[in-house]
Amino acid sequence: MITRRIYRALDARLGTTSIGRTALAKVFPDHWTFMFGEIALYAFMALLLTGTYLTLFFEPSTSETVYDGAYQPLDGSKVSSAFASTVALSFDVRAGLLIRQAHHWAALLFVAAIVVHMLRVFFTGAFRRPRELNWVVGVTMLALALLNGFTGYSMPDDLLSGTGLRIIYSTVLSIPVVGSWIATLAFGGEFPTPETTPRLYISHVLIVPGIFLALISVHLLMIIRQKHSQFPGPGRREHNVVGSRLWPAYAVRSVSLLTGVFAVVFALGGLVQINPVWIYGPFHPAKATSPAQPDWYVAWGDGALRLFPPIEFHVFGHLVPAPFLPAVGVGTVTFLLLYAWPWLERWRTGDKASHQILQRPRESPGRVAVGAYALTFFAVLLVTAADDIIARLTRIPVTGLLRTLQILVLVLPFVVAAVAFFTARALRAGTATSLGELTREDLHAGLSGRSIDRRPDDEPEERIRLWRNPDDTWRWRWYGPGEELSSNEAFLDRQEALDAAKTAFPGVRVEQDEPPEGVVLPPPQHKPGPATKAAAALVWVAMAVLGRRADRRTPSRSEASE
Amino acid sequence: MTDQPSAPRRGHRMLAAAAGLGVLGLPLAAPAPSPSPSASPLPAPPTGPDRGTVLYQQSCASCHGQRGEGTQRGPSLADVGPASVDFQLSTGRMPLSKEGKPNVHQDAVFSESDIRALVQHVASFPPGGGPPIPVVGGGSTPSGRELYLTYCSACHSAAGVGATLNNGRIAPSLFEATPTQIGEAVRVGPGLMPAFPPDVLSDEEVDDVAAYVGVLQDDRGELDRGGWPLGRLGPFTEGVVAWVFGLTIVLLLARRLGSRAR
Repeated sequence: MITRRIYRALDARLGTTSIGRTALAKVFPDHWTFMFGEIALYAFMALLLTGTYLTLFFEPSTSETVYDGAYQPLDGSKVSSAFASTVALSFDVRAGLLIRQAHHWAALLFVAAIVVHMLRVFFTGAFRRPRELNWVVGVTMLALALLNGFTGYSMPDDLLSGTGLRIIYSTVLSIPVVGSWIATLAFGGEFPTPETTPRLYISHVLIVPGIFLALISVHLLMIIRQKHSQFPGPGRREHNVVGSRLWPAYAVRSVSLLTGVFAVVFALGGLVQINPVWIYGPFHPAKATSPAQPDWYVAWGDGALRLFPPIEFHVFGHLVPAPFLPAVGVGTVTFLLLYAWPWLERWRTGDKASHQILQRPRESPGRVAVGAYALTFFAVLLVTAADDIIARLTRIPVTGLLRTLQILVLVLPFVVAAVAFFTARALRAGTATSLGELTREDLHAGLSGRSIDRRPDDEPEERIRLWRNPDDTWRWRWYGPGEELSSNEAFLDRQEALDAAKTAFPGVRVEQDEPPEGVVLPPPQHKPGPATKAAAALVWVAMAVLGRRADRRTPSRSEASE
Repeated sequence: MTDQPSAPRRGHRMLAAAAGLGVLGLPLAAPAPSPSPSASPLPAPPTGPDRGTVLYQQSCASCHGQRGEGTQRGPSLADVGPASVDFQLSTGRMPLSKEGKPNVHQDAVFSESDIRALVQHVASFPPGGGPPIPVVGGGSTPSGRELYLTYCSACHSAAGVGATLNNGRIAPSLFEATPTQIGEAVRVGPGLMPAFPPDVLSDEEVDDVAAYVGVLQDDRGELDRGGWPLGRLGPFTEGVVAWVFGLTIVLLLARRLGSRAR
């Protein structure tokens, strides 16, 4: 009763009904790879929630304090406030360790989900016109995610992350001419300074997340404005989107994914130890720990530093120090290429058309090769960042291991790229739907580049039916071979429905205008499975029980009110 | 210490202890463990004051020389000191099972009494000297934590898991080490490790370091309170877990959710 009145009041003032109806009817394409971005979004939500809890207890300061708490080996030691409060979060704050670890695991998942999402967009050509801008926004968010991950990792002022901060400081210093200026500006003096931790903090909890929220909004608004792209399939056209409506189908899936992401984040946070700073100890410039790595998403920079030979040279009399090329160069070139990729590909292919239908990766073997090259390159860099651990576990001399990796980083990406290129061509040439179905003939075709005669993509026997509902609204349904798709919206008159149908499926014959009087075309029926039936029965029983309880209570309440 | 009382040999045991190790404060009247056949694969040598001599001739002399003077196959033992001999024997690094094999911490080949006899015998080589076996115990962990992070963590890692050094050699993990072995290693500096004499680390500081290594060994499960410690290898293994367990599970869920309902 009250909800209905609130709803009416809102609708009268804001017109929420029409917005809500449109929003709830929004169609999301049915493909599981379209949920990667959502995983990142939900990991970000987990980060915001857990991070807010952490800010209540973390002290972003390097001023000295005496730790007084449950971690006995640190009890009574003079350490920085940042370190002491992080150890206190882990030992003395209720649920502090769970939230801290969940926050860190969510960060690792967040970046991983962004990378997987970007790979999906890359390999399917979803960045093509008209979505280049959203690609740029996405690449920016990846860069910001790396930055914020690193600042968060560095804030506790522990020995391991302090080593990483020192490396970043030296990396910034290595930029010719302006390096020392930027480093002083960013760190507030020569490392280590008391200024650094507060700066890391405010950037980590306010500035970058703020930008992030704005960019996520822009990212999603652009999706709503441009609508989803979709994979080719029966009934999928450049002018329609085929999939499930937001309400109820997609919302249920999305909420399930949300709870799934949270479940994984908190399960990892509760069961698997991450970044035990109390073991690493507080940062001190004269101390060190080994083996030492950064978190995985910046480890490629560490790997490049370990791999690259120490080359120094002069340009116009200015020294270019050894860390510049591997640490600054690799990252800069990578992100410039990422930003420029939509335009680079357009320049290469000359394809300026607007695309709503995605490509399968095999349709662009060149792009597959470039992606495979980059993935292999960065995988080798990530492995290199762990060379000390690998040498420790396998007892291979670390110098020999490094030499092997130096050869691998040059050779392996080309090998993988070539294999990927010819596999994609073989898949494109034949009729195989997966790698296992590739025939010898397909492989020959892939190697030689000629194409086997391809089946025509004609879709015969298409028709559209239009009908009137009993409440005088209009719907249409498309019938193709083995597939039928209904309009997701009800239209107020016949012409609107006809226009919508013709936009979605231009050139398709409208066969039946209206069913006989009083007859409504049945919506597609699905037989519920046993699990659904069981769940429905449970819900029914629960509602019945709750309803009876409510019935019992209501009389007493109404008496009281009288 | 394996307690296997064996009355007939107590006399010899006390003799040996008084002569070689009594000054170091080891318990004089400790019951003597009998050499068990499983610990020593060699045929039972005669017991008695010359047991150390016999064991030395059997297992050590071929490389280290008849009087510890060293040969082409092994270094001199003339002045290494009891701490070094006890460390090498009690951590199973000596005798080498195979030449050229990296010596790592393993089960000791000799029983404790045999090790004592050998230590005593090697100590009798001229000119003698070298660090004695330290008595370690009862240190304070907060001080030990600071000392450990100052002197030890650069090679043995802050978590005690060890790290790689050059030429395939490693700083071993400290999870197997007893307090006495830690004290011995600190004083002797085996392998690539530097020796820390008493004017660098006092006896009390060695006690503290050993106490903190005890914390790192985490026998009571208090240190890794965050859960599965992943070998305490740091962000690399954490990244592997994030991808293999975390993201893979979420992706499988998405795969399940994203397939169209039929």
